[in-house]
Amino acid sequence: MPKRKTKSSFVGIKVTAEQAALLARLQQALNVTTKTEVLLRGLDLLAKSHSLSVPEVERPKVVPEIATSLELAKFEADVLRYTNALQQTKNRTEEVMKQMVQELAKTDKIVDKYGSDKSALIQILLEIQRENNWLPKDTLMWVSQKLGIPLTQLYHIATFYNAFSLIPQGRHLVQVCSGTACHVRGEPRLLDKVEDALKVKPGGTTKDMRFTLKTVNCLGCCALGPVMVVDEEYHSQPSAKDIEEIFATVE
Amino acid sequence: MPRLNSAADLEKLRQKILAKSDGKKRVVSVTNGTDGRTRHSQDIVKNFIDEIKKQGLTGKVIVKSTGCHGFCEKEPTALILPEGICYVSLKPEDVPEIVSETLVGGRIVERLLYEDPTTKQKIAKESEIPFYKYQSQALLGNNRFIDPRSIEDYIALGGYDALAKALFKLTPEEVLEEIKKANLRGRAGGGFPVGRKWETTRNAPGNTKYIIVNAHEGEPGAFKDRTLFEGNPHLVLEGLIIGAYTIGAHQGYIYVRHDAPVLIDNITTALTQAKEYGLLGENILGSGFNFNVEVHRDIGIFVSGESSALMAAIEGAVPEPRPKYIHTSVSGIRESPSNLNNVETWANVPLIINRGAKWFTGIGTEESKGTKLVSLAGNVRNTGIVEVPMGTTLKKLIYDIGGGVRDGKKLKGVHVGGPLGGCVPEGLLDLRLDFDELAKAGTPIGAGSMIVMDEDNCMVDAARYFLNFSTEESCGKCVPCREGIYQMLKILNRICEGKGTTGDIELLEEIGGVLQDASLCALGQTVVNPVLCTIKYFRDEYKAHIEEKRCPAGVCF
Repeated sequence: MPKRKTKSSFVGIKVTAEQAALLARLQQALNVTTKTEVLLRGLDLLAKSHSLSVPEVERPKVVPEIATSLELAKFEADVLRYTNALQQTKNRTEEVMKQMVQELAKTDKIVDKYGSDKSALIQILLEIQRENNWLPKDTLMWVSQKLGIPLTQLYHIATFYNAFSLIPQGRHLVQVCSGTACHVRGEPRLLDKVEDALKVKPGGTTKDMRFTLKTVNCLGCCALGPVMVVDEEYHSQPSAKDIEEIFATVE
Repeated sequence: MPRLNSAADLEKLRQKILAKSDGKKRVVSVTNGTDGRTRHSQDIVKNFIDEIKKQGLTGKVIVKSTGCHGFCEKEPTALILPEGICYVSLKPEDVPEIVSETLVGGRIVERLLYEDPTTKQKIAKESEIPFYKYQSQALLGNNRFIDPRSIEDYIALGGYDALAKALFKLTPEEVLEEIKKANLRGRAGGGFPVGRKWETTRNAPGNTKYIIVNAHEGEPGAFKDRTLFEGNPHLVLEGLIIGAYTIGAHQGYIYVRHDAPVLIDNITTALTQAKEYGLLGENILGSGFNFNVEVHRDIGIFVSGESSALMAAIEGAVPEPRPKYIHTSVSGIRESPSNLNNVETWANVPLIINRGAKWFTGIGTEESKGTKLVSLAGNVRNTGIVEVPMGTTLKKLIYDIGGGVRDGKKLKGVHVGGPLGGCVPEGLLDLRLDFDELAKAGTPIGAGSMIVMDEDNCMVDAARYFLNFSTEESCGKCVPCREGIYQMLKILNRICEGKGTTGDIELLEEIGGVLQDASLCALGQTVVNPVLCTIKYFRDEYKAHIEEKRCPAGVCF
């Protein structure tokens, strides 16, 4: 019969009594102001322990009033699960940790750029999406913490709009306009050609992660219809050959 | 950058600008808006500047990068002033020839002129091209003379005079009276009397009031707002400031979609410049009136264009409409009175203040005054933005200005108002551009998009297309809209696959009726228009699909 460990909690995260005492001593020793900072330092150390040769990530300033919630605990568990799972493949672990830390650092900069203003949420999410081509879960959790918005609310918004993606997308976004004017000018046939060239259906991403195909409703260039947009470059009435050339020129 | 502190300062600056240009120089005005840039108009502008320098004409010819002049089909175009010669469908390599032949040699390059498709005649002067000849471009006309990134271009043409007049010569009540007398009606689909909306907001209790420009333009096929706003942002801004003065608002918002980079760029430049010149911000023109504007970039789904949804989005929430027991003019953003109007509506305000309500009411029909911007697209020869007086027949729009149907096909109908509108059949083309006349026919004007459909388009497929669009755009909050559209779509899908049964048409009409009566917002109430309208005017096509298992246009099966 395993001995029942007395559980206490450190900033909302269940820990054993020994762990809690250790963390409290750490907090004192490190001379940090909040328990959240202790956890973030731990994350730093976790990254370093995987011998990442990444420049010192600027530790973001955390407002003391933000109570760390279960999200951070889940995040910690996620990270460990991630690294454990990836320990199967040797080099990937370092890469993934590097990636995650960099993602968070970039996300932090973005939120700071908008002055941590809650009403700029959509614009913040748009930038994060543009930076990463999708909304990684860790960035959403970070935004949730910094802005004090519940994670469920962020998911409400991220799932409401088609513009946001919660799964990794290709490096280049290919959009075919399916507005009314383009539709009557032959958009279905254009879409067929693009689907053939990429071998994916709208909403899908190519296996090599180069392209994601989406249909979009009215770009407002009806005189050019039917229109295909690749990475914000507009192409009017492209032929199958044009399409092939355009896709060949992007990396 | 001189800061203007009075109406007299504004006039002095205008005289200075006019004196600099002295009217003797030639101007090459190149369309360099969103449409033009897709066809390399940026390179055309650059080539003109380089070539003019190379041929020793610097100082004698001004190259102006302008917004869209309206004839999107033929863009990029270059207008040579003062002669008024128009070269169409240009490519960057055409530029050297234009400079040496026309600008230096005074000769016309025939191959670059507009060719009338029926008479095969080449037309040199822009004002004689049928597309332009039959229009009255009160709002859009100045697009060809203005570089949207230059506030001085706008001021030179009399810009901000209406603002000066409103601030110094009229009280807010007098401005309100003028707008009410002009009977200006909303230009985004509602057609609601603008004066009345302003009055409600002005009289609503509370000291903080907001005004908003709805530049969302989510209706597929409509691009008139973007064309106007991109090419002449100051016209809309001036209207907005006058509105703010009238209503007593000190904070304004411009709601734009994030995927319109040129538009956003031009708007932010205009706002910055207006502020520098003292036409926006604190103590506008020394009048003591303060007003600031913020640009709100959002993702924008179709329903975001609905006023209560838009205001929710500005507050940072998800754009879900709310039932309007209390109008947004009384309780809008953060529960303060908020006045929302469309881009084109705001653009009409300076014109009315400058030329008077009497001028405005002299144009149009009994209840629909002024001019209207129409986005003409689809299977028509001349796609573009057209400005005509209210009361113009659809026939004139499609044939005289639009040049008729492409590729010599037969016209089947013209779809007015997008997914919330209806299709006018060929036999009813004498209907006039009028809010009430079109609404009565079941084809409300909407945002003014007109999609021309020919014999190769199937009307049942069109109804299905619109419903498909609406299924994705419904916010999902209320049952009639969320479930009703889905069920109607299922029926239409069956019909288009040849599995329609007797009674399907009546069922569609019945469900449509429920949506019209019970939906929370205007989207649900009007989303059935395309279906009900096509059933009304093209019942035969539905019958052919169901009873004969045949698609007359050959589209469905």
